[in-house]
Amino acid sequence: MTSLNAGDFKVADLSLAAFGRKEIQLAEHEMPGLMAIRKEYAAAQPLAGARITGSLHMTVQTAVLIETLAALGADVRWCSCNIFSTQDHAAAAIAVGPNGTPEDPQGIPVFAWKGETLEEYWWCTEQALTWPGFSGPNMILDDGGDATLLVHKGVEFEKAGAAPDPSTADSDEFRIILELLNRTLKETPKKWTEVASEIKGVTEETTTGVHRLYEMHRDGNLLFPAINVNDAVTKSKFDNKYGCRHSLVDGINRATTC
Amino acid sequence: MLIGGKVAVVCGYGDVGKGCAESLRGQGARVIVTEIDPICALQAAMDGYQVTTLDEVVGIADIFVTTTGNKDIIMAADMAKMKHQAIVGNIGHFDNEIDMAGLAKIPGIVKDEVKPQVHTWTFPDGKTLIVLSEGRLLNLGNATGHPSFVMSNSFADQTLAQIELFTKPEEYPVGVYTLPKHLDEKVARLHLDALGVKLTTLTQSQADYIGVNVDGPYKAEQYRY
Repeated sequence: MTSLNAGDFKVADLSLAAFGRKEIQLAEHEMPGLMAIRKEYAAAQPLAGARITGSLHMTVQTAVLIETLAALGADVRWCSCNIFSTQDHAAAAIAVGPNGTPEDPQGIPVFAWKGETLEEYWWCTEQALTWPGFSGPNMILDDGGDATLLVHKGVEFEKAGAAPDPSTADSDEFRIILELLNRTLKETPKKWTEVASEIKGVTEETTTGVHRLYEMHRDGNLLFPAINVNDAVTKSKFDNKYGCRHSLVDGINRATTC
Repeated sequence: MLIGGKVAVVCGYGDVGKGCAESLRGQGARVIVTEIDPICALQAAMDGYQVTTLDEVVGIADIFVTTTGNKDIIMAADMAKMKHQAIVGNIGHFDNEIDMAGLAKIPGIVKDEVKPQVHTWTFPDGKTLIVLSEGRLLNLGNATGHPSFVMSNSFADQTLAQIELFTKPEEYPVGVYTLPKHLDEKVARLHLDALGVKLTTLTQSQADYIGVNVDGPYKAEQYRY
């Protein structure tokens, strides 16, 4: 692993990396599917040449996913898909990597911290979609469809030659997206068109993102193929159900036990 | 707050709602479900939950959880009718299920931070609501999301889907696909040993009888599990 450039990641606190690494190691044992896939494809390196932008909750479990994609040959950049969902120690451990140190991070470019503003959130998404030297990803791993949305809106406005005035947005969040895309239109007017042309596909994690993909495909606007991971039986019949059975009361208890 | 004995309303009885209702019932809550889909409503009823509208129970419940993936589920007018110190949270992907903007616009309402991602909203008459993660998904905002073992399934699916799209572009023209069933079964298989599961193997004659290969896939595409 080579050292990460100082500007090529942004997390809350790199000194949390050792704690993050300990929890990642515990999680690896509890993630036998991912670890078996790492072993099975170690020699074949099926993702060699893949540049994957991931937009998915930057947790300890996601750290194991990210390092699995990297172990299979992928070049990965990551952001969270929610302003509150990052575990800062997991993000630090990903940036530092298994062999780096907080002084010499050698991990994976990650742009995520717990408690982002909406402006910061979309900035992180843009960073995860922008490789140094302005090339973009050739794969997206999305959760909720925000990375896919930014690319599609970017292409739409570049085709039109202009993005709508941010003051016309019907929500705070869309105003921020419009501000971002107005800026990229000025700086690099074909940025998203070029990014989209390289993308081979997106894999989408959740019900909401899948809904957006089917709508875009129905309307003839989908720019690249998509796999609806949410409706894999081993996803929605397990994560959505048994995952929530565990984490709902975990959230309520941690929030309100006093 | 002790969940046991309380009344909890779960809005939506899809996969997420089913997990949430079971979670709260497991803690001893009396769970009430709201649904718009007659099939999911009937499932909830057959699972033993009272199914009714939010309006009917908004004044008696202690905990409200939105799981729908839709918008405008709990509005400011609903929150105005809730009990003192009712807990309101969302576990759906986006923050449009609970009308946070409408809540903030109630004249005289005061928001106060108890700790990050836990806020009280006090109405002019002194009634207070506890809102989790500002209406964003509370299992990740207030806790750390799903545990590793279940995420290993989701993320194994993700990894295999990435390999599919990246290595076989010719098989996937622009469109939306689901993961091939043999890969879905593979992901489940990879998690059996850790739980000590011993699978029974079909005989060739049994496989022929139901028209599948001994090694799978075992179900037709339309099977719903």
